[in-house]
Amino acid sequence: MTNPTHDYYARSHHDHDHAHDHDDHQHPNPANEHDNGPPGEYEIMSRAMQELLEQKGIITAEQVARRMEQFDEEFPHRGAQIVARAWVDPAYKQRLLDDGRAACAEAGVMLEAERLIAVENTPEVHNVIVCTLCSCYPRSLLGMPPTWYKSRNYRSRVVFEPRAVLREFGTVLPDSVTVRVHDSNADMRYLVVPMRPAGTEGWSEERLAGLISRDMLVGVTAPKAP
Amino acid sequence: MNDSEKLPSDIGGEHAGPVDTHDHGMRHWERQANAFRSVVQMTKLTCTDELRRAAEELGSRYKDMHYFEITTSAMRAVLLEKGAFTEPELQAKMAEIRARFDVPDEMESPVKKAAAKNAAVKAVAK
Repeated sequence: MTNPTHDYYARSHHDHDHAHDHDDHQHPNPANEHDNGPPGEYEIMSRAMQELLEQKGIITAEQVARRMEQFDEEFPHRGAQIVARAWVDPAYKQRLLDDGRAACAEAGVMLEAERLIAVENTPEVHNVIVCTLCSCYPRSLLGMPPTWYKSRNYRSRVVFEPRAVLREFGTVLPDSVTVRVHDSNADMRYLVVPMRPAGTEGWSEERLAGLISRDMLVGVTAPKAP
Repeated sequence: MNDSEKLPSDIGGEHAGPVDTHDHGMRHWERQANAFRSVVQMTKLTCTDELRRAAEELGSRYKDMHYFEITTSAMRAVLLEKGAFTEPELQAKMAEIRARFDVPDEMESPVKKAAAKNAAVKAVAK
């Protein structure tokens, strides 16, 4: 029997004893739906594969449990921290734009993919990210992609009618702004660097990070002036 | 390349309906499946491209499957190809897990206890 400490069915409750500085924007892990029914065939298959690989000494239950924690607690906040740092430190921003992977490593974040391309929004250009073929996404910076990022409708449409898709997110861009859509792949991920809102002069990195949501770093929304 | 030759995953540029911009989160088993994939990739047993190739080989089944059903099927195919386990081993383990879930007494089933606890906590939270 699997050690219950690492049993993924024995779901821990988030007691919110960890710092929640970002309650004013979307929670990266919204309440999950339909958790309590009997397991489906794919759930049983996934668990069976994990247990077989544990028995063969290829992986451990602790590794999987640790990875789940990281996806829930650590990864979702890193992108905002990196961008806030870029907002206050122009030299860091330039390094991020020059070589995203190296700039993340400098901040202690090791990425899964070979390359990270940071794309900067300006008054003239707005950037949006997609992975049309699957769901490549800078997970170690943003956590798990939201449901819509993996959806057929987003993947199909954002590449040819990005303005219409952005409107569905409540983002309306003037015709004068060029919209660039970036299609990710297994070796190359993107991160949008939004424009720092006016009225945030002198703010700390931590306070600025509180303005930045996942959706802004994918490019479907933009930060607003406080 | 015409549409009939396209891979099932190659959907960029197709017409489709409005985007549901609400994030529905992930079911608990999906979080396990995701973490499991990540850990397996860390062992270098497989990689993203290989898993996507296996997903694409689902062919016409692809469009009717949910995201984590696709990724779990792909993982199964790749791990069988690599000889990480055999199909009979997988079937036996799945039967064992099904039986574990079907334990009638809730006191003996960690699965049902966890589910009951979740339901109770949710009820209190409301």
